[in-house]
Amino acid sequence: MNSGKKKWSAALLATAVLAVTAACGSGSDGGSADGKVVLRFSYWGSDARQKMTEEAIKKFEEKNPTIDVEGEFSDFASYYESLSTKVAASDAPDVITLEIRALREYATRGTLADLSSKVNTADVDAKVLATGAIDGKQYAIPTGVNAFSLIVNPALVESSGQKLPDDTSWTWDDYVKLAAGVTSGSGGKVTGTQLSWNPAYLEIFAAQKGEPFYQGNQLGVSPQTITEWWGIMQNLIKDKGAPEAAKSSEIGATSVDQSLLGTNSGAMGMWWSNQLGAVVKASGQNLELLRMPKLAGAATGGMFMQPAMFYSASSKTEHAAEAAKFIDFMINDPEAGAIVLSDRGLPASSKVLAAVRDKLPEADQKTLAFLDEAKGELKDPPAAPPKGASAMEEMLTRYSEEVMFGRMEPADAAQKFIAEANAAIAG
Amino acid sequence: MATPSRPVPVLFRQFRGGPLAKHALLIGFGLVMLYPLVWMISSSLKPEELIFREPGLWPSEFTLENYTEGWNALKHPFSYYLWNSAVVTVLSVVANLVACSLAAYAFARLNFPLKKLWFAVMLGTIMLPYHVTIVPQYIMFSKLDLINTIWPLVMPKVLATDAFFVFLMVQFIRTLPRELDEAAEIDGAGYWRIFMRVVMPLCLPALATTAIFTFIWTWNDFLSQLLYLNNPDNFTVPVALRTFLDASSDSSWGPMFAMSIVALGPIFGFFLAGQKYLIRGVATTGLK
Amino acid sequence: MTALARGGHRATLRSRREARAAYLFLAPWFAGLLVITVGPILASLYLSFTDYSLLEEAKWVGWDNYVRMFTQDTRFLQSLQVTTVYVVVSVPLQLAFALLLALVLDRGLRGLSFYRSIFYLPSLLGGSVAIAILWRKVFGADGLVNAVLAVFGIEGTGWVGHPDYALGTLILLHVWTFGAPMIIFLAGLRQIPSSYYEAASVDGAGWLRQFRSITLPLLTPIIFFNLVLELIKSFQSFTQAFIVSNGQGGPADSTLFYTLYLYLQGFKRFDMGYAAAMAWVLLLIIAGLTGVNFLASKYWVFYGDTK
Repeated sequence: MNSGKKKWSAALLATAVLAVTAACGSGSDGGSADGKVVLRFSYWGSDARQKMTEEAIKKFEEKNPTIDVEGEFSDFASYYESLSTKVAASDAPDVITLEIRALREYATRGTLADLSSKVNTADVDAKVLATGAIDGKQYAIPTGVNAFSLIVNPALVESSGQKLPDDTSWTWDDYVKLAAGVTSGSGGKVTGTQLSWNPAYLEIFAAQKGEPFYQGNQLGVSPQTITEWWGIMQNLIKDKGAPEAAKSSEIGATSVDQSLLGTNSGAMGMWWSNQLGAVVKASGQNLELLRMPKLAGAATGGMFMQPAMFYSASSKTEHAAEAAKFIDFMINDPEAGAIVLSDRGLPASSKVLAAVRDKLPEADQKTLAFLDEAKGELKDPPAAPPKGASAMEEMLTRYSEEVMFGRMEPADAAQKFIAEANAAIAG
Repeated sequence: MATPSRPVPVLFRQFRGGPLAKHALLIGFGLVMLYPLVWMISSSLKPEELIFREPGLWPSEFTLENYTEGWNALKHPFSYYLWNSAVVTVLSVVANLVACSLAAYAFARLNFPLKKLWFAVMLGTIMLPYHVTIVPQYIMFSKLDLINTIWPLVMPKVLATDAFFVFLMVQFIRTLPRELDEAAEIDGAGYWRIFMRVVMPLCLPALATTAIFTFIWTWNDFLSQLLYLNNPDNFTVPVALRTFLDASSDSSWGPMFAMSIVALGPIFGFFLAGQKYLIRGVATTGLK
Repeated sequence: MTALARGGHRATLRSRREARAAYLFLAPWFAGLLVITVGPILASLYLSFTDYSLLEEAKWVGWDNYVRMFTQDTRFLQSLQVTTVYVVVSVPLQLAFALLLALVLDRGLRGLSFYRSIFYLPSLLGGSVAIAILWRKVFGADGLVNAVLAVFGIEGTGWVGHPDYALGTLILLHVWTFGAPMIIFLAGLRQIPSSYYEAASVDGAGWLRQFRSITLPLLTPIIFFNLVLELIKSFQSFTQAFIVSNGQGGPADSTLFYTLYLYLQGFKRFDMGYAAAMAWVLLLIIAGLTGVNFLASKYWVFYGDTK
């Protein structure tokens, strides 16, 4: 009986503590107690990126003592959920990091401010810069660039008795043959390659057939092209150049460090070029970038550069000038560049890139050399995809898996994919 | 053990072969169940680059690097996030214990107009999926200027909105024989005294359950903590843990596993402490 | 009963006093209902009749979302089917498992609290981000299950990556985290007065009879509680499917849980109006089921307070 009383008073005490703590907590709420402008900056990423970014923010605050930048960051999986909730509550961060596939979503719905002539973009390649512009307004500034390409482990290819291809001339058939050769040559210890359902991969393949991925608010890819593209992957599975469908879909849902290439159980794979560093780190091996294979007789290789991320400012921000200043700092200031390096893609500003070039990690130097070499062959960076494009990868993966598991006829799946994709991006 | 003299039949009596066989069975079963955890512990002791490259359970190279690195990898040392989580969690536990038992007593023991309706409403609040109310709720707390405070996390608990626990306690209180209340009432006790002196002490197992679950679920809750405490200085453990991962680039798996294990400590400890209170609640005498 | 015997006036006085006490006890809950719950729930009801992208103002569209759901959206039906299978298989399985272990771990062996803790550990891990990897380590193409199968000369497949089996692995994941119902069962077992067992022992009843005539009937409110809650919770399952399938419900939509699809619509396709409509359909489904549950409970649930 007595213990009941004791418990009760403890509960009351705790409630009081709670009230006090909460009251104290609200004091630290984003205000500008010391007259500073508080700028909220949202981005996603891992601990390493957070450390870098905090360092860059500190540098910015040193140069701009009246501005206090608060980084709001989360893992990628929950980034958009938390961002859109904040936007819905008219509580958007002042500076927002976005990817190209979500850009139009936010820009055309009045969420973002026009940054034309507010941020110095003189040193950013005009074509790359244009990807952040919609209807003549510069809603977003690219942080850095990437190209979707093939990554190979030369040692594993050679130890399986195969030769590295001449990537300026190799075809998809060569690719399938090489992958199958690696698997059989290594006695199954190493698998040739792993499948990718990245829309960028299909975009490259379609370009080789002379088709654009998007044509206005429609897909520009024909069902035949998609069927042919799936044919490559079906052949890979059939010839054991890639793991069977179930294992492939299992690997497809994992991160780069658990990929076949990352765990040294595969010799090839396709990723964005700025992921080379991560794969190299995971595998601990010397890896190389290769051009994507081509269709025999194709006029173009179809590869393209694309901004890794964008910085944008909220249209509702009360500190538009400061937001622009911060973005300008992150894009143009060599000191920021020296901290962030290639974390957000190879720096978009040519000046910053020149300044930090020698400090880049080895993998990025390699990427840079690769991109320089392939520059003449690259397509123009594509414009921001239509609204609804955020769901493209998920849709493509779903239909691709239906085909790989033989649950849908390729031609039928291609039709359905196009219909669903068109419906998603129409509005 | 708490009450060794209990003359109670045991499912085990049916098994032949003595306690040794039973232990062996339980341990064997436990090992199968715990394989994923064992794998995680083993991975946390491997050099990071070997985690996915080396398939075996037994590390070829032992290292504590993941622990030291994970502890210091983020903006603050990991203890900082443990403390943040502890504050939110402990307040939630206290709030839930008080608020939910009050409401549960009324639903379980008292008669009042519209009782059935309110009970249905209470259950109804469990049924709406979280992802839809989260946006209006966030808008509300943001209008109240409470983002980045612990209010959005604790206030719902103070106000007994965790209907799960209200329902849990109602079910428990309803298993208690009414005679106890009536005896106290005859002695002249009011509702408050019956609640405090009769029902609550007998509900110790239910209270312990509520405390354990609130602790664990709050400790592991990710999305609302991420949304409402979005300044990295306010991060709690689940939010901090995710920052070791980056789906598009290299993740710090080793430190993530290591800190996941560290973060298991407090909840496991609380569970160990709490389960002791799952002792028999009803006195053995005076009941037939 | 005594009050009635003393006359009607006293009875009304008493019931008024009781009602007043009840509303006092419920005061925090009412406040919470009003301040925290009702607003968002009504808001979501309103949103379910709108076209709402989260980024712009909501536009009223009437029943459009509901009509679209049942006439045009095959993925909605797929998600309903996946979830139904999941609920129907995993809930009874998990509860049976939890009750069995609760009975085993209730008493009668040394070190039971140790075992209880061990068996609870998976539930502590259940929602962790690590679970995706851990599950692949067990059910992946190179996982534990296949290693064991290989000993018997059977070649397995990648269970988590195969559309026919992926849902099965998630069901096992649900069963694996049986800790919460187990603890509730344990607490329920502890609530049963031991005098009942003593009396039964004196009468010479064996364990099976004691289980059938004491444990089971007295545990029915707790079984009922676990059943109702696990049904609700598993209909709302999200985190594990989200983590294991990398947020997509794959392979080929085979693990597209209802709330996962709701989430994808609301936050990935910026169609919060549709997501809200889905939430209300789910609410109705669950409420219907729970209602049936409560009606049926009259026939099998025994409360200590009913006389």
